[in-house]
Amino acid sequence: MRALQQIHRIAVAAGLLIAAVGAAQAASGKTQPVAISFAITADGKEVGCGAPLADLGSGRLAAKLHEARFYVYGFKLVDSKGGRTPVALTQSEWQYGDVALLDFKDARGGNAPCTESNPAKNTTIVGAVPAGSYVGLEFSIGAPVETIVDGKPVPINHSNVETAPPPLDVVGMAWNWQAGRRFVTIEVDPLSPVVKADGSKTRSWMVHIGSTGCKGNPATGEIVACARENRFAVSFDRFDPKTQRVELDFTRLFEKSDLLADKGGAVGCMSGPDDPECPAIFEALGLNLVESAPGAGDAGKQTKPGASSVFKVGAAAKPAKIAGGKQ
Amino acid sequence: MRARLLLALGLAVAASSAAAEQAPAAAWMWDLPKYVPPPRVPADNPMSEEKFQLGRRLFFDKRVSGNGTLACSSCHLQERAFTDGRVVSVGSTGETTPRNAPSIVNAGWHATYTWANPALVTLERQMENPLFGERPTEMGVTDANKAEIVARFRADADYRKRFAAAFPEKADPISFETIIKAISAFQRGVISFDSRYDRYLQGKIKFTEQEQRGHDLYFGEKAECHHCHGSVNFDDQFVHAKTREAETPFHNTGLYDIDGKGAYPQPNRGLYDITADPDDMGKFRAPSLRNIAVTGPYMHDGTVATLADVIELYSQGGRKIDSGPNAGDGRASPLKSGLIVKIDMTPQEKADLLAFLKTLTDETLLASPRFSDPWKTAAAAK
Repeated sequence: MRALQQIHRIAVAAGLLIAAVGAAQAASGKTQPVAISFAITADGKEVGCGAPLADLGSGRLAAKLHEARFYVYGFKLVDSKGGRTPVALTQSEWQYGDVALLDFKDARGGNAPCTESNPAKNTTIVGAVPAGSYVGLEFSIGAPVETIVDGKPVPINHSNVETAPPPLDVVGMAWNWQAGRRFVTIEVDPLSPVVKADGSKTRSWMVHIGSTGCKGNPATGEIVACARENRFAVSFDRFDPKTQRVELDFTRLFEKSDLLADKGGAVGCMSGPDDPECPAIFEALGLNLVESAPGAGDAGKQTKPGASSVFKVGAAAKPAKIAGGKQ
Repeated sequence: MRARLLLALGLAVAASSAAAEQAPAAAWMWDLPKYVPPPRVPADNPMSEEKFQLGRRLFFDKRVSGNGTLACSSCHLQERAFTDGRVVSVGSTGETTPRNAPSIVNAGWHATYTWANPALVTLERQMENPLFGERPTEMGVTDANKAEIVARFRADADYRKRFAAAFPEKADPISFETIIKAISAFQRGVISFDSRYDRYLQGKIKFTEQEQRGHDLYFGEKAECHHCHGSVNFDDQFVHAKTREAETPFHNTGLYDIDGKGAYPQPNRGLYDITADPDDMGKFRAPSLRNIAVTGPYMHDGTVATLADVIELYSQGGRKIDSGPNAGDGRASPLKSGLIVKIDMTPQEKADLLAFLKTLTDETLLASPRFSDPWKTAAAAK
């Protein structure tokens, strides 16, 4: 039944978005396309694909990018009065409903930076908004619990990876032990191995962010809630998609992390509230790893709404292409 | 057992002919004693004999794993009540799992799955972990090899026929969705209610005096085994078709206390690894004790070798480890369940309890052709 609904949803989703855009057109006259570019930077330079990373972490080490992908959702353009207008995402293998997956690795692998002939898999969000004047941008990192497609709530984070539409069907972004998705997968390989608390060595220092403390309802077989959602919003008062891009700053993300050591828990930080590597990573992301005070109930919430120190506005390398996403 | 199956089939045939030969598939019938309610079955994965048989083939088929070397049955052996006899299991690439392979028997009635995970409430969801898990790799299914694995089954004419019959509503019936659904249906159908204990319940046999003493100890207030292993499935997370609200207790049984504050060693800290609530340290789901005599070694990490050792451990009210990295006195753990106390059973009582636990072994399950490796049967028939 659910599978059938899913197929139905996929079938109608594309049509629906067109309908939604059409409705907006009818209401306001016309729409304008939007393309929002993303990039990863390290040590002030754009990286991605197999580009080497320099001066990373507290040890200012050289490292190699192993994985860098994350889900984003809820894109809104902000007008000069602070009003928010949702961006209707073009539906594609990278975008479903208002959710998209960004992936900064190339298809080829290897040790070279991204080039035009060997681009990162997907670094641009494409969609449309009602024609108008906008000055800022807001979006969130993560996979929402659900989103609205066809006027109905559709489960996202806890949907089945086998039946969910792209880009929610990526096995590598499934977080099966929490019956959900990894929101963020960032893995870097320092040139010498990471030494674990027990003396053993491993190659990658990993940042996996996702909702934790999730609980299902055995009587219905559905996931009901997660104790720590670990989603966060990024809000820029000033952002011009034509000349600027969103940058994820690895230098800031790993600033206080020792990439050659893992003192316990998962290697790196996999969102464990008691993982010794998580406080520095969560602080950089702007997320409360644990409650700010006993009983505050704000574990997994953003420390300051809209603020994440790792996301910045940068100058676009070149004008963002509207047809950026693979379709 | 066989007689009941034949009867069930006969009934199904009668029922379907009465229904004017509408569906070619025989309606699924749960073959259960009257004290066992049918399990909850997800609305999007109804049972059918075709699906069960397809799932059985897949369960025993190494082609489900990424490198074609591991089947579900590699860690879930029928003759061991679908456990593997190892301390911990070995994945398709040689990595060991952190935990002891649990049985799949009567798993359709579990409220939550694995040793301690409240997020996994269906077999379908549980299966994503061994299939897709990366730490460690078990079946080794990835984005890179997923299509290739599905293609293995699409290239097999017999499987094509079986998938189409099991999923007649699907235009494209071979996918990981249907692989998972079929294996889940097989697992739901692997039921064990034909032990000596069941025959005793049904009035078919009488226990020996020793078994009866063990039974009385088990359900009595001295041993109190029934507090956590008291359902008809001998666990305490028992959910069935009519359950409205399911309780999901997890327990710290005093196996470890490595820091004097009740800590369990990583990476097996139980419910705490999911919830991060300090109170959940060392809490695990009480497993079903059906077929417990053939599913050793015991506990989440396989660190208790024999059933007699398990009984001794509970008689002591926990486990003291004298040396090594996990040294500590679990018996005195501040986090230990209040239900686990030193009860100092006599040697006679321990022997009686062991005798009773052995009545939970279902020889029919261990040898039933219905749950056996279909590939072996096919090879033997040639």
